[in-house]
Amino acid sequence: MVSEAFSPEFQRIVPEDATFEKAATGFIFIEGPVWHHRDGYLIWVDIIGDTIWKWVPGPGKSIVMRPSAHANGTTFDHQGRLVVAGWSNRNVWRLELDGSVTTLASHYQGKKINTPNDIVVKSDGNIYFTDPSNGMHLVGHQGADLQKYLDFEGVFKLNPDDLSLTLLCDDMTFPNGLCFSPDESLMYVNDTTDHYIRVFDVGADGSLSNGRRFAELHGSAPGHPDGIKVDVEGTVYCTGPGGVWVFDPQGNHLGLMKTPEQCHNFTFGGDDLKSIFFACRTTVYRMRVNIPGLAVGPAR
Amino acid sequence: MSWNFELAAGPFGSPIDGPVWDGEALLFTRQAFPANSVNNRILRFDPTNGQTTDFRRWTNQTIGLGFSKTGTLYGCQWAGRRLVRFNGDGTTSALSHKIGGLYHNKPKDLVVDSQERIWFCDPHGDLRTAIYPQISDKLNHASVLRLQTPDAFDSPIQRMTFDTDAPSGILLSRDEGTLYLAECSLEPDGPRELRAYPVLEDGTLGNYALLHSFGADAQGPHLGIAGMCLDSDGNVVACAGWNQSGPGPLVYVFSPAGRVLETHPTPEEATNCAFGDPDLTTLYLTTKSGNLYRALSTGHTGWTLYQSA
Repeated sequence: MVSEAFSPEFQRIVPEDATFEKAATGFIFIEGPVWHHRDGYLIWVDIIGDTIWKWVPGPGKSIVMRPSAHANGTTFDHQGRLVVAGWSNRNVWRLELDGSVTTLASHYQGKKINTPNDIVVKSDGNIYFTDPSNGMHLVGHQGADLQKYLDFEGVFKLNPDDLSLTLLCDDMTFPNGLCFSPDESLMYVNDTTDHYIRVFDVGADGSLSNGRRFAELHGSAPGHPDGIKVDVEGTVYCTGPGGVWVFDPQGNHLGLMKTPEQCHNFTFGGDDLKSIFFACRTTVYRMRVNIPGLAVGPAR
Repeated sequence: MSWNFELAAGPFGSPIDGPVWDGEALLFTRQAFPANSVNNRILRFDPTNGQTTDFRRWTNQTIGLGFSKTGTLYGCQWAGRRLVRFNGDGTTSALSHKIGGLYHNKPKDLVVDSQERIWFCDPHGDLRTAIYPQISDKLNHASVLRLQTPDAFDSPIQRMTFDTDAPSGILLSRDEGTLYLAECSLEPDGPRELRAYPVLEDGTLGNYALLHSFGADAQGPHLGIAGMCLDSDGNVVACAGWNQSGPGPLVYVFSPAGRVLETHPTPEEATNCAFGDPDLTTLYLTTKSGNLYRALSTGHTGWTLYQSA
């Protein structure tokens, strides 16, 4: 069994006979997977291997960018441009369709930001990203500057038009993965160090308020709150000890998808968005599930 | 003459280490858990007003510090498993940190030679203290390593010792002909020694002379040298020992041949020591509990390449 149900509801979401298939392997430390829904391909990064990878069903994997300044989280904007949490570069940048790179954010109030880790784009085009400092602490960080300047590890909103940066939250210990609920009324943010998911109400202006504990993820198995996603029904999937934990929208723990290696992030993908691609250290695994995830990138 | 250790500053709430005199004040490091705690800092004690101020924050468990002869400040970033350079503009640069394609261990102490090469102790330490993810195992040895060119990120790192288990403190003699190394294992059968390695013509190290070996008693092993510095006569001034066993925490003054010239009891278990104050006759002592002590008018004058330049 590669999963463990704590509620009958879980088997409606993850079939009992679901298995992990290897999609691509041979990496050092992979992260930041995202599925381009319109064009049907997967992007992920090898942080330590310093490469952005692409996987197309059939042809398989190919290199998008190497070196990649140890890029971390990735997503697509509504024009289909890859938007990257540029971890070691300590910025957020966009890969233009012509292959050039545009820096979108590098400083907040005159101070260099930390090490952007994960990133999502809202339906209105605004970019939300987390800015923990772990990239500076990690063995192997190779950026030009290891000095931390901000006194907090924040969650930011980035307006891609005027490049203004709004601090949304400054009191988490280690904000990491983040995602919106399907209707974008809620935002979930992981705290890796404190082992919990925080949920916020999203205001009309895109601000976050009423932050509260959604769920805690404790356990002795390797893994911690890192990547987080929701499916179309609002079920919450989050990496944690032992694999990917699944919660209903009320925060009840429905079950666990036991990944073959420690999973740091994952994404829904495949033509019907009913596959999950798991970024697990050395290997991208794929599993078929019953409920589709949310499409990312330009509409079909 | 006896030394009187007085509290200069502290307590700082967690271990302090890495003392170096910057010409006007004493820099030292504070270590805290977790590694991303703001309490990981370089502090600066100014003896003219007794004030301690922040020199750097967010230092990721930097322990040992050292100046080059031209005044560039380098540090041993324990949790980050790398040497770093603290630049004058407030930025911090990672230096080359791989040997043979592998990440080295956890650097603890360093010395910069006149060619700007950095010799450093690279004990194993506990990798779990670092911020995740730890995907790189420790090396299969714990050695003195030497970084060839600190300006080049891909500069080669060379292994200098092949007979060490727990290198803890490192010094180069004034003529750079001798490398003094403290081995300070916490294992009952591990080495707790002060060694003198000849630096050979080709830059490698010859066979060491054992200058001092720390013993054991029914209470357990006597703690070896945690940190050390040089005086202007070429003596090695070292802090060693603890209350658990043996003669208790002491500062030793060893002649270059290893004769124990003096011992001075210290108020508590020390982590490191350095000479400071304008005439370099004060010995500063950092401790595990986070107290900074000093003994004025020690009758010795400190020597470092930076201060002599």
